[in-house]
Amino acid sequence: MMSARLNLFAMIGSILLLLVILELVRRKYLRERYSLIWIVTGTLFLLLSIRLDFLYGISHFLGFSIPSNALFFFGILFLILIVLGLSVISSRLAEKNKILTQEVVLLKKRVNDLEKFHDHANEAPRPQSGSSPG
Amino acid sequence: MPANVYGHTCVPKHFGAQAQGPTLQVFSKDYRAGIKPAPTMDFMKILVIIPVFNEEETLRGVISGIRASLPQADILVVNDGSTDSTSNIAREAGVLILEHPYNMGIGATMQTGFLYALRNDYDIAVQVDGDGQHHPEFLPSLVKPLWEGHSNLVIGSRYLVDGGFKSTFLRKLGIKFFSSLVWIFTGKRGTDPTSGFRAMDRKGLELFSEDYPSDYPEVEALISASRKGLHFQEIPTLMRDRQGGTSSIGMLSALYYMVKVTLSISIGFFRRVK
Repeated sequence: MMSARLNLFAMIGSILLLLVILELVRRKYLRERYSLIWIVTGTLFLLLSIRLDFLYGISHFLGFSIPSNALFFFGILFLILIVLGLSVISSRLAEKNKILTQEVVLLKKRVNDLEKFHDHANEAPRPQSGSSPG
Repeated sequence: MPANVYGHTCVPKHFGAQAQGPTLQVFSKDYRAGIKPAPTMDFMKILVIIPVFNEEETLRGVISGIRASLPQADILVVNDGSTDSTSNIAREAGVLILEHPYNMGIGATMQTGFLYALRNDYDIAVQVDGDGQHHPEFLPSLVKPLWEGHSNLVIGSRYLVDGGFKSTFLRKLGIKFFSSLVWIFTGKRGTDPTSGFRAMDRKGLELFSEDYPSDYPEVEALISASRKGLHFQEIPTLMRDRQGGTSSIGMLSALYYMVKVTLSISIGFFRRVK
């Protein structure tokens, strides 16, 4: 059903995706924690492009009339889950960011107060060497 | 003393003989009679928190108003990333000031103030908007139920007395909607749950410094306080129309306001109370 040329392109694409992911991790642009899901995805793509009969088997089993529909269906499902996960992550980050900023604001105020107090203490009249003993 | 048709006075009896003016000495009589321990304002540390975002036109007046009506209170301006001279005005006025490095929203701004109050051992925190719509003359009656121990949270409502600014028709409709939400979820009738003119005691501070909604927090805060077992009440206040600046609520965000608060309250209802 799928031409051999297309199959080859799919394989090359999957391998490229995997390489890009690994490179991103190597450069620390992508945390290992979040890279795992992408490595699994890339591997799955590669597996499916090597063994097209897996895709045919699954789509037949689930009752899709065309295997590509199964591919699109799972692809979109997967993307929705990823985006949902990212929303969760960004909500968590926003909350942490808020707490962090509030802490900084309060600390800054405290440092300012302490500095003022310190300066004030230093400016207080000190016994001067030249003056007569009190 | 105002009397209603039944011939009884309208105000609770503990208001005593001086109920006309917002005075804080009302309780001395009860104290002498040995009815309750001396609730002396001198022992209470009060912090008035003013959340501000570009309020250069009104802030000076708000601060001087608070100083006139509640001289024993410390005033804290939490500047939520203003781009005008708000910060300088607060500095000139010599109040306490906290500066957010960027605009974080009213919820986070109030929460920063609550955290400051909690960590600096304030007994009472009051919220007064920086746009001048709250009359500082009502501050004493706002904090009174707190130091008497009647409530943990006091809300200044503009719908309990005649006069003053009552908001536009659509807003009133929205406020009615939120009032019924509060009624459904707490069993208590409120008239002005969106009012930002409010005061709380330590229990309130402990709750809100831990968990306070980031946007449109007023209604949700009431419900979470009630679920925590905190007691809230309303007192009559007058409000003005905003003196300057623009409202934080436009047409589209009004819709978001209602949906967000309803959703958040409904889902929050299924959350376990910690």
